[in-house]
Amino acid sequence: MGYINAIIILAGINIVAGLGVSILTGYTGLFSIGHAGFMALGAYMWAIMLTNFHLPFGLALLVGGLFAGLCSFIVGYPAFRSRLRGDYFAIATLGFSEAIRLVLNNTYEVVGGAFGFMGLPSITSVPVVVLSVVLALFFAHMFVTSQFGKNCIAISQDEVAAEMMGVNLLRTKLTALFISAFYAGVAGGLLGGYMAYLSPSFFTYTRSSDLLAAVVFGGIQSLIGPVITAFVLVAVPELLRVFSEWRLIIYGLLFVIVMVFRPQGLLGYVEMNFHFLRGWWNKLRRRKPAAAVDGGGI
Amino acid sequence: MNAEILEVKDLSVSFGGVRAVDQVSFSLQPGELIGLIGPNGAGKTTVFNMITNSIKPTSGEIRFNGKSILGKTPDKICRLGISRTFQNIRLFPQMTAYENVELGLHNTPRYSILEAFVRTPRASRIEKETRKRALELLEMVNLKEYARERASNLPYGLQRRLEMARAMATSPQLLLLDEPAAGMNEDECRDLVKLIRQIHTSMHYTIIMIEHHMNVVMDLCRGSRIYVLNLGSLLAVGSPSEIQNNQQVIKAYLGERKNARADTRS
Repeated sequence: MGYINAIIILAGINIVAGLGVSILTGYTGLFSIGHAGFMALGAYMWAIMLTNFHLPFGLALLVGGLFAGLCSFIVGYPAFRSRLRGDYFAIATLGFSEAIRLVLNNTYEVVGGAFGFMGLPSITSVPVVVLSVVLALFFAHMFVTSQFGKNCIAISQDEVAAEMMGVNLLRTKLTALFISAFYAGVAGGLLGGYMAYLSPSFFTYTRSSDLLAAVVFGGIQSLIGPVITAFVLVAVPELLRVFSEWRLIIYGLLFVIVMVFRPQGLLGYVEMNFHFLRGWWNKLRRRKPAAAVDGGGI
Repeated sequence: MNAEILEVKDLSVSFGGVRAVDQVSFSLQPGELIGLIGPNGAGKTTVFNMITNSIKPTSGEIRFNGKSILGKTPDKICRLGISRTFQNIRLFPQMTAYENVELGLHNTPRYSILEAFVRTPRASRIEKETRKRALELLEMVNLKEYARERASNLPYGLQRRLEMARAMATSPQLLLLDEPAAGMNEDECRDLVKLIRQIHTSMHYTIIMIEHHMNVVMDLCRGSRIYVLNLGSLLAVGSPSEIQNNQQVIKAYLGERKNARADTRS
């Protein structure tokens, strides 16, 4: 049972971080291969808040998330200001996250350097993770269907047109990045609460690329797609431990297949994203104009 | 009375050694509808791009409502009240027609980010108002039945109308239409003329229109002016009939008159 729990917890953490990447990459069109860095920032801030300031678990998670979000401006502001896009922005995030990992690796005061941040409580349980996932999904849905989220989608589809239509690119992108980093930071805190210690080696490039893989496989402009793949990408390698050395090869192969046959991802674009809710909503909306037309006819 | 809504003075831009726009000046009173015509490559779209600052002018002055808008970012200029359509349509392809229009309405979200997360009653009310307004705008350009259609699935002519609706959604004072009739047949052109005239009179927009369809320009700019650009500089200004009889304009479009006559005879 403990093993299954472990998989559920790790998958849940991956889902929370994956939702963050989805908001940035799937909805705003900004590729990030540095979300492990934001996870690290959130995790270490969470640990400091918990051990040195004795904040309650949930509050410490929020502080960790906010800290990660604020730190994202360090990379976001100059990058968006100079209009880095696509691969260039991805590389900037990669450099940022590696820099954070190296700093943590070599800072022995407070955070324990390469030995890791020891003596954390083991408090991330299945209910905590499930609750976090539900909340994360709910708030992500609220964001992407809000006017903020729709501006993000517009930027991902045609940045120039969005700007010409009065969307403030810098502010909108920074908002998306902040929320995205916040999610990653909370996920980092959850990870620390499960592992009961933190080590910079948790937050390597591989973790970032796993998160990006979840979004690319799951589908852009979809929340449910990345949720499913973030779960699968943790669960399946665990269940197929025997093939563990083949994992990256299979990933690579899957990447190529998805890119060739379904570049928008398995559940890409809105149609699969809360489709049933949208369907009901549309039905409600359709009824009104139809009634108006009928009335006009009479 | 003489409060110009837009005043362009000695506007020039060079790309490398090419002077794409050279010392162009014009001005508009509020509520006017003027045409901007000229052969291909005359620099018409470049003028639009400079007004919306997607191209930086090399020299010159652009004043909107008496204030210089040089150096302001395109999104800021849009929010000040200048909106445009594009020659090569730039809709958000994967968004529905309705969402495209809606975007213009909420380019600056009307509620705070925290309200977005918990969707307060105020935020829901604003969403509802935005929705209503977007549908009104779609109705105005006769696209209401396509509201839930993806923009990329719409036929070309409808995409152009959708772009106009999206531009109007930003509640502009000045509307820049870049070849609204491109690729349309005679019937569609007639509908478009009706639509633009209706927009112009009912919404009190000031409109500058680039257009190649002469029937459309001549019809819409009746009682107003047409500016003719050629090779980056202003060639002529005048009423439609003056422009039609202007020798220089005819020369710019068709070459020497003698040749033109020879062509038509043969």
